[in-house]
Amino acid sequence: MRIYSKEDYRELDEKKFKLVQMDHDIKDEKFEQEPVGFFKDALIRFRQNKASVLAFFIICIVLFFTIFGPYMNSYGFNDQNSDTINMPCKIPLLAPLGICDGGKVIVNRRADLLGDPSYYPEGSILEVFNEREIQGVKMVDVKVDYYKYTGNGDKCFWFGTDYLGRDLWTRLWRGSRVSLLIAFVSVITNVFIGVIYGSIAGYYGGKVDMILMRITEIISALPRIVIITMFIMYFGTGLFAIIMALVVKGWVHTARMVRAQFYRFKQREYVLAARTLGIRDGILIFRHILPNAIGPIITSSMIAIPSAIFAESFLAYIGLGLQAPEPSIGVLLSQGQKVLLHYPNQSIIPGILISVLMISFNLFANGLRDSFDPTLRGA
Amino acid sequence: MTKYIIQRLIALIITLFLIMTIAFLVVRLMPGSFYDNQDLPETVIQAINAKYHFDKPLIVQYFYFIGNILHWDWGTSIAIQPNVPVFDLLKTRVPISLQINLISLFISIPIGIAAGSLAAIKKNTLVDHFISFMVVIFISVPSFIFATALQYFLAYKGGLFPIIYDAAAAMGTQKAMSMFLPVMALTFSPIARVTRYLRAELAETMNSEFLLLARTKGLTYRQAIMRHGMRNSFLPLANIIIPMFTNILGGSLVIERIFSIPGMGGMMIDSISVSDHSVTIAILMFYSFISLVTMLIVDISYGIIDPRIRVGGRK
Amino acid sequence: MNDDKKLLEVKDLAVSFNTFSGSVKAVRSISFDLNRGETLAIVGESGSGKSVTIKSLLGILTGNATIESGEIRYNGDDLLKYSESDFYKIRGKKISLIFQDPFSALNPIMKIGKQITEALILSNNMNKEDSKKRALELMEIVGISEPELRYDQYPFQFSGGMRQRIVIAIALASDPEILICDEPTTALDVTIQAKILKQIKKIKNERDLSVIFITHDLGVVANMADRICVMYAGKIVEYGTCDEIFYEPAHPYTWALLSSMPDLETREKLFSISGTPPNMLFPPKGDAFAQRNKYAMAIDFEEEPPFFKLSETHYAATWLLHEYAPKVEMPEILAKRLARMKEEGGTSE
Repeated sequence: MRIYSKEDYRELDEKKFKLVQMDHDIKDEKFEQEPVGFFKDALIRFRQNKASVLAFFIICIVLFFTIFGPYMNSYGFNDQNSDTINMPCKIPLLAPLGICDGGKVIVNRRADLLGDPSYYPEGSILEVFNEREIQGVKMVDVKVDYYKYTGNGDKCFWFGTDYLGRDLWTRLWRGSRVSLLIAFVSVITNVFIGVIYGSIAGYYGGKVDMILMRITEIISALPRIVIITMFIMYFGTGLFAIIMALVVKGWVHTARMVRAQFYRFKQREYVLAARTLGIRDGILIFRHILPNAIGPIITSSMIAIPSAIFAESFLAYIGLGLQAPEPSIGVLLSQGQKVLLHYPNQSIIPGILISVLMISFNLFANGLRDSFDPTLRGA
Repeated sequence: MTKYIIQRLIALIITLFLIMTIAFLVVRLMPGSFYDNQDLPETVIQAINAKYHFDKPLIVQYFYFIGNILHWDWGTSIAIQPNVPVFDLLKTRVPISLQINLISLFISIPIGIAAGSLAAIKKNTLVDHFISFMVVIFISVPSFIFATALQYFLAYKGGLFPIIYDAAAAMGTQKAMSMFLPVMALTFSPIARVTRYLRAELAETMNSEFLLLARTKGLTYRQAIMRHGMRNSFLPLANIIIPMFTNILGGSLVIERIFSIPGMGGMMIDSISVSDHSVTIAILMFYSFISLVTMLIVDISYGIIDPRIRVGGRK
Repeated sequence: MNDDKKLLEVKDLAVSFNTFSGSVKAVRSISFDLNRGETLAIVGESGSGKSVTIKSLLGILTGNATIESGEIRYNGDDLLKYSESDFYKIRGKKISLIFQDPFSALNPIMKIGKQITEALILSNNMNKEDSKKRALELMEIVGISEPELRYDQYPFQFSGGMRQRIVIAIALASDPEILICDEPTTALDVTIQAKILKQIKKIKNERDLSVIFITHDLGVVANMADRICVMYAGKIVEYGTCDEIFYEPAHPYTWALLSSMPDLETREKLFSISGTPPNMLFPPKGDAFAQRNKYAMAIDFEEEPPFFKLSETHYAATWLLHEYAPKVEMPEILAKRLARMKEEGGTSE
C-alpha cells in the first residue's frame, strides 16, 4: 500500500488530470462473449474431460465394427463346419509376437509319433517340450499349429471358431450388433414412455399425478430379475420379448425424473407468465418445461445403455438368452464359459468387448453428466 | 412412525400377492407345458391332474394355488428332484446362497468405506484419480466377467484356488479357499458403489460450512473430518447398502453357476430350463420377498437415522 | 499510532485463486490493522475480497488459493507462516469467526449442546459437566431462553436468528480476543438483524473484544464500527474512522456506496452504481473503479492511485485528491443527505 508523496510521482502529466467520463452515460458493460447455447456449452465442457472423449471414440470404433465387422471376412455368422471346431485365434499380423498364431498346446503325446506326417502334417509342429518317460514310453507336450494340424492350413479364423465351427469374429460383431440393438431400442422406448408419462403426471399434478405415481410405485416394487424372468418365460426368448422385458421396469426411472423436473419448473415465474399469456399446454410442456430435463434425460439414458447390455448377457447366462442361432454378446459369453478351461479365447474375447463397452458407456455418461450439470463437477 | 410401518407392511403384502398372481398366470398361461416334454402314460397325467388340478378352469386353479401357499405348501418338484417338496428343496439351497452373499456384503462395506474416504480426503490427487479409475472399472465390468477371469487366471492358470466351489467340505480352510473366488467376484461392484457414493457424499460434506465452523471453533482438521464429515456421510450410507444386497443376490445367480455352487441361482436356472414351475415360482417369490423386505428396511431406516425425521416426527 | 495498541496487522496481503480459466486475483495487496478493543468494519460489494481476507486470517482458504505475498502479524508472529497445527492453537481460542449463513453453518445431525461443547472438550480439555455448564451460560449470554431444553435439540428445531445466536455462542466458547463477523446478518430477516447486531455489540463491550465486521451494507456498520475500510476489486480504496467515512468520504466509490444506501428521507430515486465490477481474472490497469466512475480522469486508466492522506486516520486512494486534479465535489444529493444525517446527530440506535 503506497501513500502518496511528491517524490514518488514526479513525472505525472498534468494534462491527464481531466475528467473524461463526465458526459458519458456509463452503462453496464456489454456482454462481449458470444452467446453460448446449451449444447455448445455442454460440448465445451465435455471436451475438457479426456477420459470421456476417449470413451466416445472407443464407442465409435466398436460401432464401426458392429456395423461392418461381419462383412470383413467370408464366413457367415451361422456357417457351421464340422472340420473346424473350436479353432484357436489366428491373426497373421500378430503371429510373430507369439500370440494369436493359431497355436495350441496338446499334452501327453508319444514322442515317437512326432515324425509321422499322418499324425502331424508337415510344418504343424511349432514346439516340443516337457519330455518325460511314463511307463517306459517317451512322452512330450507339443505346441502345434492347430490349423495345419487339423488340415485347415489354408483357413484363417481371426478369433477362432466355436463348437459348431462357426467363425467367432463374425459372430462377435453380429452379437454386439444384436446386444447394442437391444440396448438402444429398449432405452429409447423407455425414454419415450417415461417422458410422456412423467410429463403428464408432473404437468397435471393432483389426482392424475397420484394415480400415475401409485402405478409406478407398484411396478418399481417388483424386483427386476423376477419381472424379467417371468416376462421372458411367458413371451419366449425372441429379440422383441427381451427388449420388452427391459422396458417393463426401465421407463419408471425416466418418468419419475421428468415428473420431478416438471414439479421444479412449473411454478417458476416464467412458466406462469407464459400461461397468463394464454399459451397452450402442449407448447408449455414441450417448449418451456421439458427442455430443462434434456440434460438429465440424456445422461440417464446413457447410463441405462450399459445396464441394458448387462441385463441382456445376464439373461443369456441364466438360460433365457436369445434363441439360437442368433448370437449376442451374452450368448457368446455363456457358451464360452462352458468351455472356458479348454478354449479360453471363446469367453475372453467377448468378455473384453463387453467390459470395454460397459466402461466406455459409463465414462461417456459421466462426462455427459458433468457437462450438462456444472454443479456436479468434481463431486 | 408405527402407523407408517404398518402402512408399508400392508403395501408389502399386497405387492407379494400381486407378484404371486402374475407368477401364477405366467406359468399357467405359458405356451407349452410340462406335459410336452415327456411321454407320460395317461394314468400318470390323471394322477398329476388330480394333484395339481391342471384340468380345472384357471380361476379354480388359482384358488387352489393360493390356498396351498397359505398352508405353506409350495408344491412338489417334478423334474429337478422329483417328489421332493419345493420348500425342502429351498431349505437346502437358501443357506448356501445367503452365506456367499452376506460374506460378500460384509467384506465390501469396510473396503468401500476406506477407499471412499481416502479418495474424498485426498481429492484431486493421484490416489483419488486411481481410486476413481478403479471404481469405473469395478462398476462397469459385469461380475460374471470378473468371475470368469478369476476362475481362468487365478484358479486354472495360477492354481491358487479351487476351480469350483467345494460343497462337500466342512467349514474350514478348504471351504474358505473354494469360496474365495466367488465372493471376490461378487464384492467388486458393491465395493465400487460404496466408494463412489461415500466419495461424493464426503466431498460435499467437506465443502460444507459446518465443517469450516468446526475448524474455526478449534477442532483440528482430522477431528473436524472424523466428527462432522464422516459421521454425516455415513448415515445415508445405510440407504445404499441395504438395497445393494438385492443386487448381490441377483449377481450371484450367475456366479453360482460359474463356480458350480449348489445355491438358489443354479436351481433357478435349472428349474427354468426343465420347466419345473413350482420351483421357479417359489424361487421368484423368495427373491421378491427379500427385495421387498430390504426396501421396507430402507424406508424405515430413513426415519431412524435422520434426527430431522425421528425427532421432528414428520413423514 | 501506538504499536502495542495494535492487536492484528495485515501488510500487503495478496491472494489469488487458481481456476479453470486462470488465476483470479481476489485480494490485491491490502493492509490494515486492528486495535485492541475496537471494531473495524470492512465494507464492499460481493466479490470485493472481504471474505477471502478473513479466511486467510484463519488459515481456512480453500485448496486452490495461493497467498502471493504479505504478512499478518498477530502477537508478533506472522500467521501466514503458521502451519495447520499452529493455527489449531489460535482458531477459536484467540480468533473466532461468525458465519454468514447460520442455516448451513451448524451440523444438521448433531445436537446443539454438543456442537457448543465439542471444541471445549476437544481442545480446551474441559470435562463434560464443566463444558455443559459453560455452554448453558453461553446460551444465556447470547439470549437463548430455556437453554436447558434447547441444549438437547437439533438445529432444524431452531429459527434462523436462534441458529445465528448459537453460532455466536460457539464462537465465544473459548474466550477469543478477536471476533470476526462475516456478514452475520445477511441471511436473516430484517427484524432479527437488529437484534443480532445489538447482541454482538453488547458482547463486544462486555468482554472487551476486538471485532472485524465484514459487510456489504454500510447501514449495518454505521453504529457499530470505530473504523471502516472500503474495499473494491480486491483493494482497499478508502479507510478512516466511522465519522470520516460517513461525513467526509473522499473516494468516488465511497460516494457511490453512500448514495445507494436507502433511507427514509430521500425522495429521489435510489442511486445505483452502473456497470459491473471488473473481471478479476484480468485486473484492470490503473484504478479498478475507473470504468464505472463518472469522475474518472485519463490518469485513472493508466496509473494506480496511491493513498492520499486526509487526516491522521483517513486515507483514500484516488487521483482526485492530487493537486493537479480539478476540484470535484461529491454529488449534490449525497452532500445534502450527509448534511441531514449530521444534523440528526449521526445514526441512532
